[in-house]
Amino acid sequence: MPAFSGPLQALVDELGRLPGVGPKSAQRIAFYLLKVPGPDALRLADAITAVKERMTLCTRCFNVAEGELCAICLDDRRDSTVVCVVEDPRDIVAVEKTGEFAGRYHVLQGALNPIEGVGPDQLRVRELLARVDAEGLTEIILCTNPNLEGEATAMYLARLLNPLGLTVTRIASGLPVGGDLEYADELTLGRALEGRRTVEA
Amino acid sequence: MFLVHLEITGFRNLRHLALDLDPEGTTAIVGPNGSGKTSLVEAVGYLATQRSFRGAPRDALIARDSRSAVVRGLTDTDGRRVSIDAELRREGPSRTLVNRKPARRRSDLLDGLRTTIFSPEDTETVRGGPAARRAFLDDVLALCDVRQAALVDEVERVLRQRGALLRQAGPRPPADVLVTLDVWDDRLARAGTALADARDALVRSLEPIAARTYRAVAGRPDDLQLSYRRSWEGDLGAALAAGRTDDLRRAASLIGPHRDEMDVTLEGLPARTHASQGEQRTAALALTLAAHRLATDQLGSPPVLLLDDVFSELDPERSALLTASLPAAQTLLTTASPLPSGVATAQVLDIRVLQEGAA
Repeated sequence: MPAFSGPLQALVDELGRLPGVGPKSAQRIAFYLLKVPGPDALRLADAITAVKERMTLCTRCFNVAEGELCAICLDDRRDSTVVCVVEDPRDIVAVEKTGEFAGRYHVLQGALNPIEGVGPDQLRVRELLARVDAEGLTEIILCTNPNLEGEATAMYLARLLNPLGLTVTRIASGLPVGGDLEYADELTLGRALEGRRTVEA
Repeated sequence: MFLVHLEITGFRNLRHLALDLDPEGTTAIVGPNGSGKTSLVEAVGYLATQRSFRGAPRDALIARDSRSAVVRGLTDTDGRRVSIDAELRREGPSRTLVNRKPARRRSDLLDGLRTTIFSPEDTETVRGGPAARRAFLDDVLALCDVRQAALVDEVERVLRQRGALLRQAGPRPPADVLVTLDVWDDRLARAGTALADARDALVRSLEPIAARTYRAVAGRPDDLQLSYRRSWEGDLGAALAAGRTDDLRRAASLIGPHRDEMDVTLEGLPARTHASQGEQRTAALALTLAAHRLATDQLGSPPVLLLDDVFSELDPERSALLTASLPAAQTLLTTASPLPSGVATAQVLDIRVLQEGAA
């Protein structure tokens, strides 16, 4: 037996399906939308419509794009021979914020995870291999998550890419900058020690 | 490290109780069967590990008529006081606060409280299958070093991923699937070798202490020996490659640390099959006490020793010998029968009185 009538219940149900939104929050948002002036609420509806109509995946790197290619692939100031491989479009935002990378990306759309039925066929692996020759790539940076599945994915890609004769690198893992050693967790600090480097004096 | 104060609400059949514990001596909890003695030990264990030492699901730990259970402990390590407040909820996530802040890492909890538990079921460590002995070793590793706890978790996850892949692959998978299997093999070879090495080293350190403890508690010069036996020979990566056809056919990981064994022998004979029940129980007790001493050495201060119903299957002579060989550490023990003579206790508390007093 639905608690509200017609469209309101439909809205509560739809909101409740969103990630991170429970039944209570769904109700609260629905009542908020009911109360705000029409144009304000409709802007949200328009934004959703626009995203669904206009946003696609970049045909080259599988980042989110408005049109055939994403903004990064369209930017010809970027180095087209270096590609940074990430699991998710949101990871691109993280890498972009560093300002350290001026190449292009490749979004796998996930990581190897047999338990969840994700194998190479479910990821954009074949498309990555095709880019190596087509775009004359010289370096691929494996920027998958530093967890078990991300590491396995990086290792898998390294096995496929190394025979192709280009530089394949994996991002380092270590300590947060500006932090204190005493607050670092043992695993991260242990990894950082393993990956220590000689200091040039 | 010791428990200063303990408060339990709505945990199994314990409605509410609060007690102060003696910092160094033995606190004995007495009461008839079914009065909640084991639940009390289980609650203390939960504070240290966030799980039941009996492997019970969280739902089973919450009192039947209650929606949540609360266990609060105040501990002292060399004068540093740490409060641990655990709330278990039937619905929604359970949480644990360490010094009133959410515990983020496993080490946050271990810094506050570490425990060694022995209960009648632990005889399985000697009498039961290899899985019980592997679990015993992994628990000791996790108690002493959070990095090894992470290693235990990693091996488990790699095995689950590899198992899922083997089941999907079928007996003769295409080449690209084999490449992904290579990757999981590599992960298993690294983590699995590290875990087997850690367990092997642990068994070597445990053996002399366990043998000495066994002789002390048994009151006989019998020889207890331990040895770690891997399920493969040589390099694990090479062994996985050699066994791949079998793994694919059976759709399971047939070798690895999850198939290893710790052999326990008494006077040269396998304790699992040849020892008497009393000997098995004494051997299991010797293993736990050895782990306790080893943890004390490695951590610099003894974990809290929890002995649940430890005298129930020991004759008076062995009970007295056990009591004499208990390490100097805060000990919490439960018993349904009267305490054997010669047990030095700092306080004896009746669990029924504790519950009435707090109500």
